[in-house]
Amino acid sequence: MSKSKASGPSRYELLFIVPNNYTEDEAKVIITKAEAAISEQGAQIVYREFWGKKKLAYVIKQNHYGYYNLCEFDAEPASILKIDRNLRLSKEILRHQIISIPVVTDAERAAIKEKQNQASAKTDKKEEKTVKEKMIKPAVKAEKNDSNKAELKDLDEKLEGILNAKDLV
Amino acid sequence: MNNKKQKDCFYCVNQLDVDYKDVRALRRFVNFYMKILPGDRTGICAWHQRKLTQAIKRARVMALLAPTHK
Repeated sequence: MSKSKASGPSRYELLFIVPNNYTEDEAKVIITKAEAAISEQGAQIVYREFWGKKKLAYVIKQNHYGYYNLCEFDAEPASILKIDRNLRLSKEILRHQIISIPVVTDAERAAIKEKQNQASAKTDKKEEKTVKEKMIKPAVKAEKNDSNKAELKDLDEKLEGILNAKDLV
Repeated sequence: MNNKKQKDCFYCVNQLDVDYKDVRALRRFVNFYMKILPGDRTGICAWHQRKLTQAIKRARVMALLAPTHK
């Protein structure tokens, strides 16, 4: 990473989790508090996004669910340490992460999201097709010998699909 | 031999930046045990593979991706 020559503010992205033992309204109060604490350090919040209640991929301090909140802000690099420390010390926030990001406008951000969705959807379809072709070819050959095996394979495929879908939620 | 053939880089083809919040995309570059797949399995170019490993680790910290299977 090269050191930036311009000593102005740069763009950061903060994602944090509020634990599930608060209601959604309480969580939103906590979020506004956290945002106020950020702007106290001279940061300007540019973009906010509330993801709502989501299942955590693993249990954190006996919490299975959490409210995710994303915000982007412009801040002096020196103030990031303080912001990070304040977030770490607050007991209402389960976990947080600050990363530096390139500056994007709202329109560009929306475009990127759409691109991500399209790309994932496209490749998901492709993978499904190839998987199905692979599954069908041996199934046809095996049909004469054993049709049960083909059915089992189809069942397995369906099960995997369902399991994967649950993971995504 | 077959799996060593060159694939197209997901991020180059779709002209995307690697994003740790895009779990749907990241999930495909991780195996059943949630281990990060090597570059020759993912088909991603070296430059994006480096960004990808970073992104997957960031997603794990924020509990967007599991570190192991259960």
